[in-house]
Amino acid sequence: LALYFHIGEREEKCIIEDIPSDTLVVGNHKVQRWDLHMRDFLESAPGLGMFVTVTSPTSEVLLSKLYGPQGTFTFTSYISGEHIICFQSNSTRFAVIAGSKLRIHLDIRVGEHFLDESGIQAKDKVNEVNIRLENLIEQIHHVTREQEYEREREEKFRKTSEETNSNILWWAIVQTLILISVGIWQIKSLRDFFISKKLV
Amino acid sequence: MLLRGYGTAGPWEWLTLLLVACAAWASEITFELPDNAKQCFYEEIVQGTKCTLEFQVITGGHYDVDCRLEGPDGSVLYKEMKKQYDSFTFTASRNGTYKFCFSNEFSTFTHKTVYFDFQVGEDPPLFPSENRATALTQMESACVSIHEALKSVIDYQTHFRLREAQGRSRAEDLNTRVAYWSIGEAIILLVVSVGQVFLLKSFFSDKRTTTTHVTS
Repeated sequence: LALYFHIGEREEKCIIEDIPSDTLVVGNHKVQRWDLHMRDFLESAPGLGMFVTVTSPTSEVLLSKLYGPQGTFTFTSYISGEHIICFQSNSTRFAVIAGSKLRIHLDIRVGEHFLDESGIQAKDKVNEVNIRLENLIEQIHHVTREQEYEREREEKFRKTSEETNSNILWWAIVQTLILISVGIWQIKSLRDFFISKKLV
Repeated sequence: MLLRGYGTAGPWEWLTLLLVACAAWASEITFELPDNAKQCFYEEIVQGTKCTLEFQVITGGHYDVDCRLEGPDGSVLYKEMKKQYDSFTFTASRNGTYKFCFSNEFSTFTHKTVYFDFQVGEDPPLFPSENRATALTQMESACVSIHEALKSVIDYQTHFRLREAQGRSRAEDLNTRVAYWSIGEAIILLVVSVGQVFLLKSFFSDKRTTTTHVTS
């Protein structure tokens, strides 16, 4: 678990994963607390855990669990879109204790279980190539799912652009009509006014 | 961490596999950077490893962010202000913890969504249990080349996805701006025109007693 970052004791940190549907996401995490006496991050503090919450694009909670200081979470997306993965420690201490912070190690793998999960020992050459081919097929499926998702998003993009286009056109027409009608009303109103004041 | 079984392997193969597997790493994270905030990430790297940091701003404001990469001794390896997208490759000159930070401190109220991909080391070979003396069979070389091609496809897909997300974000911004601005303009138009007439009428109404004849 190589990549890490720091957060406050009660702070919640979220990352965004934009993924197609039916995609498996595996995350490994580890949390350490800064110890003031030893001036270093402890390997494991007693009672320290991490809440992991995963929210789907429709704001539905897919996963909400408390893990120990080190753990692995997985979830599969039902809908394609932006899933939000949030981390928050279960620490009840406040960040008022000066210099207290947490170090979170993170490793998230999206759809890429084609290389890690082959813990199956291949007995001979044919089997090994077999496993490799299955991994490749899985990889291709991942590519296909991403393409499908991309098609959906491009459609949404195109609709937004066309809506902007028709918005501009429609509002330009409306404004021109308002301008003309208000102009006519102005002249008529003033003419009537001046006639009534016997100035014209 | 990436220990997997590749067929039957002797102790030396396991050792090389262990060393090679530990050297390869890629982390990609998309996160939201609030305004006036800075977010730093750390990674421990072994000397001599070739690493690549790539980042892109997906949504927010002018789609730019400050990025800074520092070595274990605090030396600045890479520093760019207000960049939308960049890719930086370097070889770790010493062991230690490398730190890279993204800063949105120049922005007052827009928060940005930033994507970064930090690749450490090269990927492990697909068939490591083969000692390099014997050539790979045709099946194995075909697998290797398909795997490489698919990796590059996935890489392109990621980049395309990010560009599309950025484009879509701009289009949605444009759409809301056009809608609000048009409504606002129409209202201003009405208010100003009606106000003009009433103002003009008010000039001529009050001065009844001291009227100066307007000769036509």
